[in-house]
Amino acid sequence: MKLITAIVKPFKLEDIKVALENRGLHGMTVSEASGYGRQRGHTEVYRGAEYTVDLVPKVRIEVLVDDADADSVVSTIVEAANTGRIGDGKVWVVPVDSVVRVRTGEKGSEAL
Amino acid sequence: MGEFSNQRKEFLAQKIKPSAKRRSELLALTDSWIKELAQAAGVSQLGGAVVAVGGYGRGELAPGSDLDLVLLVPPSANPNLIPQVANKLWYPIWDEGMKLDHSVRTVAQARTMAADDLKVALGLLDARTVYGDESLCEKLKEQVLADWRAMGQKRLPGLRSYVQDRITRNGELAHLLEPDLKESFGGLRDLGILNGVAATGIAEVDQTGLASAYAFLLDVRDALHLVTSRPSDRLTLQEQAAVAELLEIESDDALLRQVSSAGRTISYISELTWHRVKHQGVTERKGILRRKVVVPVMSDETPLAPGVMVRDGEVVLAKTADPSTDPVLVLRAAAAAAQHGLRLQPETVNRLASESAPMPTPWPRAAREALVSLIGAGRLALPVWEALDQFEIFNRLIPEWAVVRSAPQHNPLHVFTVDRHLVETAINASTMTRRVARPDLLLIGALFHDIGKAQDRDHTEVGVEIMPGIAQRLGFDDSESATLVKMVEHHLLLPDVATKRDPEDDATINFVAQIVQEHDFLEMLHALTEADSRATGPAVSSEWRLSLISDLVSRVHAVLRGDEIPPPPELDPERLEVGASGDIEVLLDSMSSLPTITISAPDSTGLLAACAGVLALHQLSVRTATTQTVGERAVSVWGVTPQYGDMPDIQEIARDLGLILNGQLDVSARLERRRQDMLGAGFTYPPAQVKILEDVSARATVIEVRAHDFPGLLRIVAGAISAVNVDIIAARVATLGSEAVDVFYVIEKTAGGAHLTPARAQEVRSTILDALELSNSVT
Repeated sequence: MKLITAIVKPFKLEDIKVALENRGLHGMTVSEASGYGRQRGHTEVYRGAEYTVDLVPKVRIEVLVDDADADSVVSTIVEAANTGRIGDGKVWVVPVDSVVRVRTGEKGSEAL
Repeated sequence: MGEFSNQRKEFLAQKIKPSAKRRSELLALTDSWIKELAQAAGVSQLGGAVVAVGGYGRGELAPGSDLDLVLLVPPSANPNLIPQVANKLWYPIWDEGMKLDHSVRTVAQARTMAADDLKVALGLLDARTVYGDESLCEKLKEQVLADWRAMGQKRLPGLRSYVQDRITRNGELAHLLEPDLKESFGGLRDLGILNGVAATGIAEVDQTGLASAYAFLLDVRDALHLVTSRPSDRLTLQEQAAVAELLEIESDDALLRQVSSAGRTISYISELTWHRVKHQGVTERKGILRRKVVVPVMSDETPLAPGVMVRDGEVVLAKTADPSTDPVLVLRAAAAAAQHGLRLQPETVNRLASESAPMPTPWPRAAREALVSLIGAGRLALPVWEALDQFEIFNRLIPEWAVVRSAPQHNPLHVFTVDRHLVETAINASTMTRRVARPDLLLIGALFHDIGKAQDRDHTEVGVEIMPGIAQRLGFDDSESATLVKMVEHHLLLPDVATKRDPEDDATINFVAQIVQEHDFLEMLHALTEADSRATGPAVSSEWRLSLISDLVSRVHAVLRGDEIPPPPELDPERLEVGASGDIEVLLDSMSSLPTITISAPDSTGLLAACAGVLALHQLSVRTATTQTVGERAVSVWGVTPQYGDMPDIQEIARDLGLILNGQLDVSARLERRRQDMLGAGFTYPPAQVKILEDVSARATVIEVRAHDFPGLLRIVAGAISAVNVDIIAARVATLGSEAVDVFYVIEKTAGGAHLTPARAQEVRSTILDALELSNSVT
């Protein structure tokens, strides 16, 4: 089993949710995050209003999947989250030792 | 003892509607079990008694309740025997899986503990012998009660701060969507506390409605424990439907409304009781006041507004005041109380509730201003609002309010009932008044933004339908009504777009810009959004979310055209003819809805300040003002309301103005003294704001001042401007509720009346801010 974590732009949450549901995933954890990447300190000029970009609001999405599904779920997220502009974020995968569903006690893949 | 266990399980398994009868059955069952245990444990051999305290002592046991027991032993008891007996008593109870609060004490020991610990004392006041020597328990109760009475004065402040703590930590039962039936203010815990207050003998507790509200909450708690099979007292959203069914209440909404109503009754009685306590001379210690500010004592009979004055630190009606002929009185009294950080005396509220004449439609200006002023007082307005709401005064003033009063919300993000959410939004908005050009519209918009809720349709749609009616009834003009409706219509625009659309996409920004159209409206919507979020709950008021919204707002501001600044005021020719002879002339027009005074005088630097000063001196509150210079004269037109009584004599105003201009009358000292007398306790109003508006007028530099209003504000600001040799050629003053928005058109006094350079403009700005800060400090 794998834990897939994605840090993406906040307004992309809806698109990602829909894409994952279409793919058959029906659960995820969402949390507020802030961060920066290579854009840090990059001053944006928007129609004459200049402001410095430092910690930028992002959204963190986490999903648990079977090993076999990891790659395709990552692709789904990347495609849905992409805008082509700086700040699109990152997605990564870590291995998971065990998972238990609280209500029923089911373990492993049954709990996903 | 498995028998008791089975009996209890059987009893609780019967999903019968909770009632006092069921409680007494459970009580009898439990008591007889404890008696058996006590007998088997040898309590009699010890000469002791098993005593129930707290809720169990009062005879109330919920299915999930702890048992609260004290093993009372006489001093003569064999010390070697005591642990044996105690263990034989406690262990079976633990083995049953029941939670037990237990102790072993002599009467003297228990008494000492009660003297040190408030909660122990309260618990013991309700002690009841379950088994054994009754005289021990009676002796204990006698002594604890005597001690309690003797120390009443000292214990009550501690009790008061315990209550305040509960409000802070557990909220108010009447307004939470998931209240803690015991610990939220207005909940079960309050009965024990009120009994404690009554036991001191210092103040009586009003019993009206108390017993039935309390019994209802006990029923709800029983039902909650039965439904969840757990001892938690928090009535969570997910359990409300099942609890309602067990109680044979038609829906979860109806349940919450009834719970809210019970909570209101209990919290109102509690407030009333503490009010009485205070008037028996039991003062609150410094440091346990909720606002850590020393409340200056205002002398009795100090007038606050027409027909409204202070007595004993509370707001009452003057003898001449008559609610049956003065429909605005109730709001005026409420606003005055809130603005000074005081409460209305309960009898006064009662009187206003039962005797007030109906408010005319549309509302008079004074009523509208009073409502704005009331909510503009921020958190200080809350107890005043609650007091009025207890008597459903707002339902009468604003019929649409009845639907949202105590209304539940079916959204896990919300913490408060709809009505409290609206009030909290308005309170939050009161800290943002400096950010907007129309603080009155912000406050009213905040108060009604969700007025469409609690009906079976989309609340924004409903809100847009009913808001025009409310706005017109309150007496707003067409353009103001339109703004208010627009606020209701778009109050969710910014959060929706900020979280769901790409801020870097031009289409997103243009979409918002098309709707808001103007900088002023965008500022207002932004402030409303922030106020609304903070009044909803922690999930939507994180800095993260608010920063997304701020970012969107900045981007939209950047694409909006500059707002049109209204041209400098021009008085009509008739007014300009006043005082053409060249001397000081003062005219009064009391025919219009707002009495108007026209002053004409030879123009001089400092004239505006002098006029403002003379009006303040005669206790006139300036609501509007426009001034214009014509040749050597300056004419100013002032919309005023008398602060306390009738309009003063115009001739006296003219005379005093002459004296001020001649330097023969120093207004500042007098006004300052009067102001110190009037200062109420610390609502920290947002600090004054002074903006220099660039390039908006060809004739002059424009300065806009936004500040909390007080008598003499205008005099101080105009005075500060004149003090640095700047001439005010025109001014437009508006006092909205208790907030002032003043715009001055200024030129250099020398140098042929040029615009101010940026450096000079900043100098004027600093001078104004310094002058205002100076006047705000309490000496």
